[in-house]
Amino acid sequence: MHMPPRPVDATLHGVVDYQAGALLTTVLPKLAGIEGTRAARQIRTAGAFHAGYSTVTDYPLGIVKLLPFKAHLALDAVGAVALAATPFITGQFKEGRRQWLPHVALCLFELASLAMTDPTGRGDFHGDVDAVREANLEDPHRKIYDGGPAVVRAA
Amino acid sequence: MKATVWSGRNTVQVENVPDPKILNDRDAIVRITSTAICGSDLHLYDGYVPTMKKGDILGHEFMGEVVEVGRGVDNLQVGDRVVVPFPIACGNCWACRHELYSLCENSNPNAGLAEKMFGHPTAGIFGYSHLTGGYAGGQAEFARVPYADVGPLKLDDDLSDEQVLFLSDIFPTGFMGADFCEITGGEVIAVFGAGPVGQFAIASAVMLGAERVIAIDQYDYRLQMARNRAGATDVINFAEDADVVEQLKALTGGRGPDAVIDAVGMEAAHGHGALHAVDRVKQATRMQSERGHALRDAILACRPGGIVSIIGVYGGLMDKFPTGALMNKGLTVKAGQCHVQHYIKPLYERIRNGDIDPSFVVTHRLELGKAPDAYETFKHKLDECVKVVLKP
Repeated sequence: MHMPPRPVDATLHGVVDYQAGALLTTVLPKLAGIEGTRAARQIRTAGAFHAGYSTVTDYPLGIVKLLPFKAHLALDAVGAVALAATPFITGQFKEGRRQWLPHVALCLFELASLAMTDPTGRGDFHGDVDAVREANLEDPHRKIYDGGPAVVRAA
Repeated sequence: MKATVWSGRNTVQVENVPDPKILNDRDAIVRITSTAICGSDLHLYDGYVPTMKKGDILGHEFMGEVVEVGRGVDNLQVGDRVVVPFPIACGNCWACRHELYSLCENSNPNAGLAEKMFGHPTAGIFGYSHLTGGYAGGQAEFARVPYADVGPLKLDDDLSDEQVLFLSDIFPTGFMGADFCEITGGEVIAVFGAGPVGQFAIASAVMLGAERVIAIDQYDYRLQMARNRAGATDVINFAEDADVVEQLKALTGGRGPDAVIDAVGMEAAHGHGALHAVDRVKQATRMQSERGHALRDAILACRPGGIVSIIGVYGGLMDKFPTGALMNKGLTVKAGQCHVQHYIKPLYERIRNGDIDPSFVVTHRLELGKAPDAYETFKHKLDECVKVVLKP
C-alpha cells in the first residue's frame, strides 16, 4: 500500500526528543500551573525517561547507538499512552483539569509527532526505489565491488 | 520535448515543454543522448539554492548530437557529437582569456544577483538557478547551448557516452580539486566525500602521483568504490568513528595530510550528533546557508603549510568557520567552480590514452522519465547509488 510521505526524519525527530525532554523536566510543570503536585513529578519523570532513551537510540542524535529507531518510536507511543492514562489510573483526574489535561495534551503531541515521523528515519523520501532498481541498466553492486581499478597510477 | 523540471523543494517532474530555439548567432541546439544528475543538483532539489522558479529545467551535465547551429558558430556542424561544459563562457572577456571560464564576465544575464551574493558576477551555468543565468538545463531531449563556438568539445572516436559524459563537469571538477593540491609525487591527499566528484578527485590524485589518497565518507559502498575503482589507499567511515581529524593524524604520523579536498559542499553530514543537529536546524531555518562540517574538519586536519582545495559547492554563509586554524597554520585555500573548458581537452586525451575509464562511477542508467525516482534514490543514497545517467 502506498503511504503518504512522512516529512520528519530521524534527525529532526531527535531534535524534538531533546527539546521535549528538556521542557518537560524543567519549566513545563510551572507553565502548566502544577508545580509541586504529583502530576508535575509524573511529567518530569516522563521527560527524563524520554531524553534518557533518546541518548541510547540508534539515530544521528543518539550518543550510544543501542536502541533501534523503530523501537524508539514504539517506546514513544507506549510512553505517550501510559502518560495519558496515569491520571485516570491513580484517580488524580478527580482533583481538577490541571491534573490530567497536560498528560493528555502531551500524549496527543507525541502521537502527532509519530504520525509525521518516517519510521525508516529517512524523512521525506517519496521515490519508488523498486521501480528504479527494475529499470536500471547497470548493476551497482558489480560496478562497485567487482570491477578492477579504473585509473592508472602515475609511474 | 520532454524535460526534467523543478517544481518545488524535493519535487521534480518530467514534463512536456517547448523545444529550444536558436536565439543568438553563437548558439547551437544539441539533441541530448546522455545526461546525468549531479550531486550539486541535490542542493537545488533540497531547496537550498535561492532563485529557483517552478518549471526551471534542471541539468548541467549533458552531451549529444548537434542538430542546429547559429551563423556565428564555425567550428561545429550538424551531426557532430559533443560534450558540453557546464559553465557557459564567452571566450572573449578577461576571465575567459585567462582560462578562468567559470568566472566569465559576459555569460550571466543575471549578473546583478550574483554580484549581490558574491561581490562579483560569476558565469552562467546550465540549469542551475537564476543566480547563474536561468539557462534551461540538459536533463531534457534538447538544449540550447550559448557560445557554442567556445564550450562544446567535439568527439571523434567511438568511446561510449558513459566514458566521455563526465567531461562536462565531475571529471574536470575532481581533477581541478587534485590539481589545486600541487601534487609532484609522494604526497598524502585526503578527500572529504566519496560521491561522484570525490571519486574523480581521488582518481585524479592517483593519476597525478599522490602516494596515499584517503577517502572519507559515511557510506561504506562509496568507500568501497573509492578503494576498488578510484584507487584510494585508505578509507575513513565517519559513521563508525566521527573524529575524522584524529583519524587523519593517526594515518599520517600525527602530521596531517599534505592537502585536503572538500568534495562535499553545503550539505555535509556529520557523526557528532549535537553539532550536526545545530547545523541542520540552522540551515533548515535559513539562519545559515551551509552545513559546513566537512570543510571545518578539512581545515583542522590539513598539515601546517598545506593546501585546502574546495570543489564542493557552497552558496552563502557558514557559521563556526575555523579562521584561526586557517591563518595560524598558514594554509593555502584554493576553490572554485571548475574551469571545465581549460581541462576538457587534456582529460579527453587521458581517457583516449586509457589512463582512466570514467564510466566506473555509473551505478544507475535509466530513461529520462525515471528522473523523479532517480533523484530520490540518489538523494537518499539507496540501492548503492553513486551516479545516475539518464537517457532522453
